[in-house]
Amino acid sequence: MNARRVRVPSLLEDPGIRRVRTPERRFLFAVPPLGDGTAGSVTANNAVAAELVRRGHKVAWTGHRASLEPRIRPGSRLYSAVEEDFERRLHGLHGDWLDLRGLAALRFLWEDLLVPLGHAMLPGVEKAIDRFRPDAVIADQLALAAPVAARRRELPWATSAATSAEFTRPLAAFPRAEEWIRELIADFQLDHGIEDLLDLRFSDHLVLVFTAAGLIGDTSFFPGHFAFVGPAPERPAPRAFPWDDLDGRPAVLVTLGAPDGPVRDRFFRVAAEAVRGVDVQAVFETDPGALPDPPPNVLVREQVPRHKLLERVSAVVCDGAHDTVCASLAQGLPLVVAPVRDDQPVIAGQVESAGAGVRVRHARARADELRTALTAVLKEDPYRAAAERVRTSIASAGGVAEAADRLEKLA
Amino acid sequence: MNDDLAEVVRILTDVLGEDFLPDVEIGPETTFTGALALESIEFAAFAARLRARYGDRADLPAFVAGLDLDELLGLTVGDVADHLAGAAR
Repeated sequence: MNARRVRVPSLLEDPGIRRVRTPERRFLFAVPPLGDGTAGSVTANNAVAAELVRRGHKVAWTGHRASLEPRIRPGSRLYSAVEEDFERRLHGLHGDWLDLRGLAALRFLWEDLLVPLGHAMLPGVEKAIDRFRPDAVIADQLALAAPVAARRRELPWATSAATSAEFTRPLAAFPRAEEWIRELIADFQLDHGIEDLLDLRFSDHLVLVFTAAGLIGDTSFFPGHFAFVGPAPERPAPRAFPWDDLDGRPAVLVTLGAPDGPVRDRFFRVAAEAVRGVDVQAVFETDPGALPDPPPNVLVREQVPRHKLLERVSAVVCDGAHDTVCASLAQGLPLVVAPVRDDQPVIAGQVESAGAGVRVRHARARADELRTALTAVLKEDPYRAAAERVRTSIASAGGVAEAADRLEKLA
Repeated sequence: MNDDLAEVVRILTDVLGEDFLPDVEIGPETTFTGALALESIEFAAFAARLRARYGDRADLPAFVAGLDLDELLGLTVGDVADHLAGAAR
């Protein structure tokens, strides 16, 4: 099922069933500038774009040129779509957002970033559509402008979701906050003349979800246009590593995406205490200067070749960044997750619900709590078995090829 | 009601750890999201401890489910104590 048949095949002319080549299609990817939050989205979309190009289709991008250009294939067609006034404020808004946590960050994200950004991007996205003339638009899940532009131009559009967070009702405990977001999404559409209201985070044509279905649990009740295609493959980053220092004891990778600062440094100090005297080797991915006197079983490296290292370790301690969680689970590794912000608490909850790890706190983490959690995921078989189940769900997902198949049918 | 407040403060201090609160005096005006920056796992632990202490009338999840985003962000220790006192009547 590589492509749709554009004509009913003639029985007399061609009795065999053959693969039908899809004629060349044009796809426009829309990505909003959301700092590091964009990185995962671009990784997944890059992989799909490359597959579409390999199949002979044309792709283009629209979004914030300065943040998008360095992350996509050099020479890609890119239409700038953020109004200048808003672009000037973008850096400050990112900073304000990153200073917030929890529901305060959520409110800021929607009220001060996503909705104004949607307004600021809409004219540019429409211009990109008018110039590139795509057959379908692929909208990052948080790019509000792209679905509205596609709907106003009567084009099919797909949602590209780079994390699992939105698929388990992350705000179920706060139904009025959930409703508030839906109202913002409704108002955004009404502001631009759309009265048939949709949740712009979930296309009614195609939702590509780049995650491990095993993290979400039962995905069978999702409608058929939700495609859980698996996490985007990581591009291995070759880096030097003292492999000979790994002496055969169970190894643990401790890695945080969090920016430098006292909370991060504290977490690594606590983690060092947690593994002191335990029969493991821990690899800490952080600035060695921040941990001057580590225990003998801790190896501190500024950066690690994550892809290769995950093949050697037995468990991972992380902050719940979606890419790290998926990369670990793709190796069947159980996790200890100390989430910080945004989708991380949701993903930590998903890991725990899947049985593939333990959630611990971050800012006030304690060495004994961390040691208990780590010992549990290393020693108790159910965690490994659950992580293995998630690994299977990743291995059996359709991946980039299925994403491209689905998009070909859409366009 | 003052008893409830003292008890809420005690449970919260216990969940967070006294050594983490040298600069924060927890009182009725203290917000969960602000000065304490409660993490979701701590909030869950706090809710479980309240329930263990007060039984079904301390249904914190049901209480917060009725709050809008601004109310959630402004939720104070005193609000929870008041809720417990109100639920007792």
